[in-house]
Amino acid sequence: MDLNYTAEDVAFRKHVRTWLEQNMPRQIRNLDDRKAWHRKLYEAGYLGMGWPKEYGGQGARPMEQAIVADEMARAGAPAPTNGLGVGIVGPTIVVHGTDAQKRRYLRKILTAEEMWCQLYSEPNAGSDLAALRTAAEDKGDHFLVNGQKIWTSGGAIADWGLLLARTDPTVPKHKGISCFLMNMRQPGVDVRPLKQITGSSEFCEVFMTNARVEKENTIGRLGEGWGIAQTTLGYERGGRALARITTYASQYNQLLNAARRLKRNGRPILDDAVTRQKLGRIWADLEVERYGALRVLTQLERGEHPGASGSITKLSYSEFEKRFMELAEEILGPYGQLTDGVPAEFRLEVDTAIGDHGTWAYAFLWSRAGTIYAGSSEIQKNVIGERILGLPKETRADRVGGTR
Amino acid sequence: MNFSFSEDQVLLRNSVRAALDEQCTPAHVRAMATDERGYGEALWHEMAKLGWLGLPFAEEQGGAGLGVVELCLVLEEMGRAAYPGPYFASVVLGGLGLQLGGSGAQKERWLPAIASGQARASAALLEETLDWDPASTTATATRSGDGWRLSGVKRFVPWAHAADVVLVPARAPEGLSLFLVDPRAAGVTLAPMVGIDLTTRWSEMRLDGAAVRGDALVGAPGAAGPVLEALLRRAAVCASAEMLGAARRCLDMSVGYVKVREQFGQLIGSFQAIRHRCAEMLLAVESSHSAVYYAAWALTAGAEDAAMAASVCKSYVSEAARQVCGDAIQVHGGIGFTWEYDLHLYFKRAKSLEPLYGDAVHHRELLIRGLTGA
Repeated sequence: MDLNYTAEDVAFRKHVRTWLEQNMPRQIRNLDDRKAWHRKLYEAGYLGMGWPKEYGGQGARPMEQAIVADEMARAGAPAPTNGLGVGIVGPTIVVHGTDAQKRRYLRKILTAEEMWCQLYSEPNAGSDLAALRTAAEDKGDHFLVNGQKIWTSGGAIADWGLLLARTDPTVPKHKGISCFLMNMRQPGVDVRPLKQITGSSEFCEVFMTNARVEKENTIGRLGEGWGIAQTTLGYERGGRALARITTYASQYNQLLNAARRLKRNGRPILDDAVTRQKLGRIWADLEVERYGALRVLTQLERGEHPGASGSITKLSYSEFEKRFMELAEEILGPYGQLTDGVPAEFRLEVDTAIGDHGTWAYAFLWSRAGTIYAGSSEIQKNVIGERILGLPKETRADRVGGTR
Repeated sequence: MNFSFSEDQVLLRNSVRAALDEQCTPAHVRAMATDERGYGEALWHEMAKLGWLGLPFAEEQGGAGLGVVELCLVLEEMGRAAYPGPYFASVVLGGLGLQLGGSGAQKERWLPAIASGQARASAALLEETLDWDPASTTATATRSGDGWRLSGVKRFVPWAHAADVVLVPARAPEGLSLFLVDPRAAGVTLAPMVGIDLTTRWSEMRLDGAAVRGDALVGAPGAAGPVLEALLRRAAVCASAEMLGAARRCLDMSVGYVKVREQFGQLIGSFQAIRHRCAEMLLAVESSHSAVYYAAWALTAGAEDAAMAASVCKSYVSEAARQVCGDAIQVHGGIGFTWEYDLHLYFKRAKSLEPLYGDAVHHRELLIRGLTGA
């Protein structure tokens, strides 16, 4: 056990820090700016770092990926774009795609020439994703897709989508799902922004009416879609582990400053014994998240796949973020609810993966999403219970019979 | 950067677990609860032979020269087995206290004896008010000839009845000082304080002008503050390791139980209400593991954030262990509330450590002071 960074990692961190100081854009005004920044990161070798070299990646160690993400968080650097493409779609194609698919799609994901979204959730298939009903009908040389997707992040700007659709309604539901690459720029695909409780629209609804998917754009074999989706969910974890904590720590320091300035009963809130206890608890929780991130990185560095234990990480940080933001709201009072006209002292200086929203109000509202997306806390607990603790499965009617 | 145990560390843990599984069975734990001394000599000698009693001491003092990480590995297993005996008192409180503040001669006198199991030590860190700030000490030390006379009342002194030497903080004219006291000497009276934890023995230690020699003073007079603070940090992390072990045992027992217990015609582990609680228990246990071993590493490595990590650790694990051990009783239902079932041994072990060496509230305040400088 040695929790010091190696000299090599320290030097790499310094290198990244210097690069960011010299290359970070002052301002991101629109998607073109963000794509330009994305491209710059790619050319410097800081994007898709974990991808194999032959597909435009760096074959970098998990620690190097984590350091780049962490330094970006530390510098408050704007996030790149095409996050689902780089984080999920690309790795899926690397693992399950054909050579032709790899040649056709991978590099353009990294350069953000083609933007990607993930077409998984449906109105009646959220936590129960395998209940999805969007159908892909075999028409000989292509499939015809009909159905509706929801919670499609980046859907409005996507050129392509990684689609889960039902190809066989006569078999048990987990076995009748297939995985496709679908062109989003076609008449049969209608994308509508979905306005969230934040007032913003990072997500979309996608309606597919006789949309066309070429046969060669099937990923894996028909009926293997569920298994493929299970492996890609795992790609999301790990790489941002440190960066997430660094962002929390920056927010925490800004909250401490606010607690020095705000008063209750004639004294700074920071002197209030109850508030100090709550702040102390959140700091301890934040540090425990950091230690946990170091454990995950240790696993990744040894080439171990976190597997189901990724559920522990996800459950932990998403629930933590909610507790943290509730405390921030408590300390900030109505300042914490401002979406506009925020005095400079109470602004939140942070650029999130989903855009620049410098208010506590936005961060607070957004914290409600973390325990729902990518498998709700309840689903994570089921996974932990079944796959890590080996507890018996529920008696479930849907594990037998077809969906029709 | 490597947050995993070395091969040697894994071997150490496995050998400690194997030895305790064999010799520190629940039957042994229960037998010791009604034993006059409260611990078994055979196991004590075995621990000396295996090198556990000198684990953190230098090799020239009969120790193994290992760090806090290894110490925590042993203590986690002791929590898991609810080991009854003066290991923590002797090795952590007495041993590390001497290692941190003792003179060459004092270490020479005591550490080899502690390592070989011939002597047992402890420390008297609490008084009536339960304030963990060493500055709150009210016991007094006055000069008397070449030596000192100590007066005051110490409470919750672990395993004092079995100790040959106790570290006692007292206020000298020069300020807070630390003394080595023979608990059987004239002017020292011990009275048992019996708590719910069957595996721990506490005493009230009354000092009525107890005479100690000049060489019983640890360090310079008035200079004990930093030594006590360093000792408390180590004790807090080591106690957390024991709580972690107790919590893991409670989790393991719960998971085992819900896989065999049936109600409504089904295994209760298949109910989400139970399964989700078990998942939360695992999260708390794994997070506690991170907190304990990060802090243990930081203390050994002299990391910049070692003091903060110790407070993160104790504040987090105190509450996590409380939650996990309590939840274990809940998922067991009625059987978990019986004396006959072993669960309460571990529940009470964790509970007894929760307030010691600073509870969660104490350490959270230290964290905020560390973060804000006020």
